[in-house]
Amino acid sequence: MKHALTLIVLLPLVGFLLNGFLATRFGGNRVGKGFVTALACGLPIAAFLLTVACLVRLQEAGYQPLVDTAYTWALIGGRSFEIAFYFDRLTAVMTLIVTGVGSLIHVYSAGYMKEDESYARYFAYLNLFLFFMLLLVLGRSLLVLFVGWEGVGLASYLLIGFWFEDPEKAAAGKKAFIVNRIGDAGFLLGMFLLYQTVGTLDMDRINAAFNGATLPAVSASLVGILLFIGATGKSAQIPLYVWLPDAMAGPTPVSALIHAATMVTAGVYLVARLSGIYLHAPEASALVAGIGAATAFFAATIALVQTDIKKVLAYSTVSQLGLMFVALGVGAYGVAIFHVTTHAFFKACLFLGAGSVIHALSGEQDILKMGGLARKIPVTFVTFAIATAAIAGIPPLAGFFSKDEILWFSFASARGGSTFLWLVASAASLMTSFYMFRLLWLTFFGASRMSHEVEHHVHESPLSMTGVLAVLALLSAVGGFLALPHFLEPMLPLPAVVPALHHHERTLIGIAIALAFTGLAAAVFLYGGGARRAAALRGRFPLAHGLLLGKYFVDEAYDFLVSRPLLWLSDRVFLRLGDRVLLDGTLNGLAAWAQRTAGSLSRIQTGNLQLYAFLALAGVVAALVWTWAHV
Amino acid sequence: MTHALLPVLPEAVLLAAACTVLLLDLFLPPSRRHWSFWLTQATLLACAAITVATAELQPLHAFGGLVVDDMLSDFLKLLSCVAVSTMLFYSRGYLAVRGLFRGEVLVLTMLALLGMMVMISAASFLTLYLGLELLALCLYSMVAMHRTSNAASEAAMKYFVLGALASGMLLYGMSMVYGATGSLDIHRIARVIHAGQGNGTVLLFGLVFVVSGIAFKLGAVPYHMWVPDVYHGAPTAVTLLIGTAPKLAAFALTLRLLGVALAGLEFDWQGMLIVLSLLSMVLGNVTAIAQTNIKRMLAYSTIANMGFMLLGFLAANLAGYSAAMFYVVAYVLTSLASFGVVMLLAREGFEADRIEDFRGLNQRSPWWAFIMLLVMFSLAGVPPTLGFYAKFAVIEAAVGAGFIWLAVAAVLASLVGAFYYLRVVKVMYFEDAVDTTPIVARGDNRALLSANGLALLLFGILPQPLMGLCVVALAQSGFL
Amino acid sequence: MSFPTFLFYAFAAILVFAALRVVTTRNPVHAALWLVLAFFTAAAHWLMLRAEFLAIALVLVYVGAVMVLFLFVVMMLDVNFDSLRAQFRNYVPVAATVGVLVLVEMALVLLGSYLKPGSAALPAPAAGGNTRALGLLLYTDYVYAFEIAAVVLLVAIIAAIALTHRRRRETRYQDPGKQVKVRAKDRLRVLGMPAEKRDG
Repeated sequence: MKHALTLIVLLPLVGFLLNGFLATRFGGNRVGKGFVTALACGLPIAAFLLTVACLVRLQEAGYQPLVDTAYTWALIGGRSFEIAFYFDRLTAVMTLIVTGVGSLIHVYSAGYMKEDESYARYFAYLNLFLFFMLLLVLGRSLLVLFVGWEGVGLASYLLIGFWFEDPEKAAAGKKAFIVNRIGDAGFLLGMFLLYQTVGTLDMDRINAAFNGATLPAVSASLVGILLFIGATGKSAQIPLYVWLPDAMAGPTPVSALIHAATMVTAGVYLVARLSGIYLHAPEASALVAGIGAATAFFAATIALVQTDIKKVLAYSTVSQLGLMFVALGVGAYGVAIFHVTTHAFFKACLFLGAGSVIHALSGEQDILKMGGLARKIPVTFVTFAIATAAIAGIPPLAGFFSKDEILWFSFASARGGSTFLWLVASAASLMTSFYMFRLLWLTFFGASRMSHEVEHHVHESPLSMTGVLAVLALLSAVGGFLALPHFLEPMLPLPAVVPALHHHERTLIGIAIALAFTGLAAAVFLYGGGARRAAALRGRFPLAHGLLLGKYFVDEAYDFLVSRPLLWLSDRVFLRLGDRVLLDGTLNGLAAWAQRTAGSLSRIQTGNLQLYAFLALAGVVAALVWTWAHV
Repeated sequence: MTHALLPVLPEAVLLAAACTVLLLDLFLPPSRRHWSFWLTQATLLACAAITVATAELQPLHAFGGLVVDDMLSDFLKLLSCVAVSTMLFYSRGYLAVRGLFRGEVLVLTMLALLGMMVMISAASFLTLYLGLELLALCLYSMVAMHRTSNAASEAAMKYFVLGALASGMLLYGMSMVYGATGSLDIHRIARVIHAGQGNGTVLLFGLVFVVSGIAFKLGAVPYHMWVPDVYHGAPTAVTLLIGTAPKLAAFALTLRLLGVALAGLEFDWQGMLIVLSLLSMVLGNVTAIAQTNIKRMLAYSTIANMGFMLLGFLAANLAGYSAAMFYVVAYVLTSLASFGVVMLLAREGFEADRIEDFRGLNQRSPWWAFIMLLVMFSLAGVPPTLGFYAKFAVIEAAVGAGFIWLAVAAVLASLVGAFYYLRVVKVMYFEDAVDTTPIVARGDNRALLSANGLALLLFGILPQPLMGLCVVALAQSGFL
Repeated sequence: MSFPTFLFYAFAAILVFAALRVVTTRNPVHAALWLVLAFFTAAAHWLMLRAEFLAIALVLVYVGAVMVLFLFVVMMLDVNFDSLRAQFRNYVPVAATVGVLVLVEMALVLLGSYLKPGSAALPAPAAGGNTRALGLLLYTDYVYAFEIAAVVLLVAIIAAIALTHRRRRETRYQDPGKQVKVRAKDRLRVLGMPAEKRDG
């Protein structure tokens, strides 16, 4: 299998093309949903199995990266741009997550979307997303990665606005796309700068160039910051995180796959993949860590008071991504990827569980109108509880291990670890534990706050959904024992630890465990028994509660500070003055002038044969005279 | 199998088949005319297959050096066969409605293709000229074939007289080169010039006439005057033929004459080509703006495009020649689709050759509007269509050879060009349809035209195989 | 001045004079006849260069076939040559300028390079005569070009027939094939009829 890597990428594309065809007028209504499902789920699973095969081969090859050049896209001058795929330890981990969790969510979707009219269209988009995501993680060159990067943005846009009849959902799709484009500007600039100075876009070569004896003649921090701007867009960090909570407008499995498990971690992957640059960019790394910590903290505070089950999870995702960037910023790239992996498991499980709840409640998303579901949908409850414990950092579940390592390195790393960073990250962890258990309590315990009609219809989801939940819950439980940082260490070495702090490790683990249980206890204390204490607390601090509920009014601030001035500028200056007066005026003038010239030129074309012949002869004579003068 | 006649096997098959169709057609009732058509198509397929099957990496010479069979000629012959075959599929309905779907047209088309093939694999002035005349004679008579149309007769007359003038000039130039070097064989001429043995002044004057003759055939300014009248006057099917495959042969002619035989005079013809190229790009693009007839507009577009092709050619190295070749191939593909759409919209008594006939095409048929959009984008050089990469390649070749100001002029000229191409798009998409007659065409025509249009997009995104073929064909044929 | 040189100048003078008369004479028939003279003199030049085949071919093809055909056409079509001539005069200034310019330039080139004494020795005639040598070459080395030339002629025939020979509905024509195939019974019917008697 020479082109196994290419095949991995192409399988979902085939799914997209076939399902896309079935979704059109020509292909629709000819085949049953069974065929669509088989196609949509079978191909990602095949891609997953192929990835496993590739991993085995990688191991046999002594972890020498596998390279598969699919196609030489363009030769410009002496430089060639190839569509090549690259498979090393990091790629292996990411590809396994993408195809593995991706396949699970495809299977889940088959149950979740069963009643939807646009069933084939949904799976076509989902397959398309997988294709671009695989392009992103497998691409050897930044160029291929960028195509994937933009492609997942497109797929995400299509899926957020999947129910585009609802203008609010369509607007959410647009918002995601536009905010991402702002980040892309930075990404593109960084890419151009790299190409100009390093002369290649192949990421392994870029790393090698930065790790070589002579550094490329470019500030690594500048490139690093530019690329990180791209990452803040895709991975929802301050200041570009605002699209992710709105993106919850899409179908819930989409939120699980794209907006929790895979696409949003692309920024983390990018920084880890180009660790060669960031190792030489202390300023950029400090910025990454700072932004990450701030995002983790602020998003967690917002999540404390949200009442929409998906919004809570969305802010939690933003917060967790912030923690991953903290790890990246202190040089613990392997740990960040470890958290990406465990997060993919438990966050996918949480989202899918939320989907199962919403499914059971016929579309209700407000946790204030739930309660007491534990006995009615037991499988969902158990899996949701395991995932909640995992994300909260209760040992020995998956989240505990990865989060603990992040906290440890944020404290002790020789590459920018500090007590302050650790304090912020720990505070975020504490809040995570709190709001997650609050969510669990409000949803599954206490008295039912549902209307009778809804309560009457509550039912457990079909096996295709609960089965997936069980698998993911299992992974959330045991995923921590994977020891990924160790697996990745030959490629992404862990940062050195400040020797003086070495002895604090056990203390910190203890604190982390204590924080997780404190969060649990606080949530139970406040929300157990009718949540009266929470209401009292809310009454004591109405201002703070309002601020958090309004998400610090960031959207409104952006609207007031950025969007409106921009709109005014576009309308008054660029449109009315620049476009209509200056550009249109010049262009229309030029066009009119060109047309007059053209008119007079075409008047030469009289149709008179002798004139034509004469002109030709005149040309010959002119050429002769010219040549004569040059002899 | 290396038989002495192998290099001309496609030509032999084509000639034999042409004679067969000519005779067979006499005995066929009009209702069986499609037999001739399918026989012709089968012949073209066979020629293409033979060309591919007998292709070899090393150049083969035959008939004492009159004929050369190299990768370049194989590639161009194959494309010519494909282009002519496509042209016949597109024009079948159009010709039938106008009473022109007759055996003679098929035979003349085949013989025109024979002329192109002779030109493409010619290695001597003699064969170059004979091929050219064979092609030209077929085209003249096909333009005149629609006898009830006065415009067609007038166009044929002009084409004939000016074509004869051009042939005369070319022949005159060739005779002077012959006088100066004592040979008709292009490789021997190149050797004589290289050794500095030729008579310099006579050679130069011969060159002037040769370049003039070539410019005439290409339709470069100021030898372009026949192009708009002929494109406009001829039946669209014949315009399609004139505007496509012969450009490949004309490229081969230019390459064999200037790139091989007179390669030693590179600095002299470069100067002339710069003037021709610049004038063609500017005049062609500017004059096209004022046209209301789409065939006329495309004629001026051809003039401008030939200017672009010369822009790549005058770099006079492998990069330049391959860019020019790629440009011609791209142009032929685009032209096929453009006239294909014009013919698709035409029906009995209606030519659909005014720009306003395309009004609101999107409402009538979104698919064909999209295909025409691709064609116009490709002609205007909008990425990611084929035309963009073609323009990019020739401009890069010109810059690489140091003609930066010329490249700038080319970019400006193509900007002007975008104006009239996009106007067609505007008319199709933003104006309301006046004519709501349904568009009918045969299935094979529809399928082929769709494939042709999509190819403009596909090769625009993935230009490398085509470009690679051009480079390999030229490199294997001795242009290093 | 040797005799051949004298002959060359004599023929050249006649050739130039005849060519001038072709374009200046008023009567088209006279013009054609002057052209015949010009061809003959050119043939004489070729003979002096020992190119007897070309000389004969020129006389046979151009004088014998082309000019005779041309004379037929001129005499059969009643072309008003005076109007053509009037147009011709309009173009005289332009044509003269271009013509003279080309002439001067060519003269400059050719005089500079070819009129050096002894630069062009007369090649020896081929063994067995030029005609034989030409024939041998034409059917061996140049057979490909020869065949293509034949195809050019074929195209000319096809084009001429396709463009002129067309059945129009209003044209009346005879079909000899049908005429020959006619049987008596198609045209003539013998009817049996009782003899009539004259009433008494």
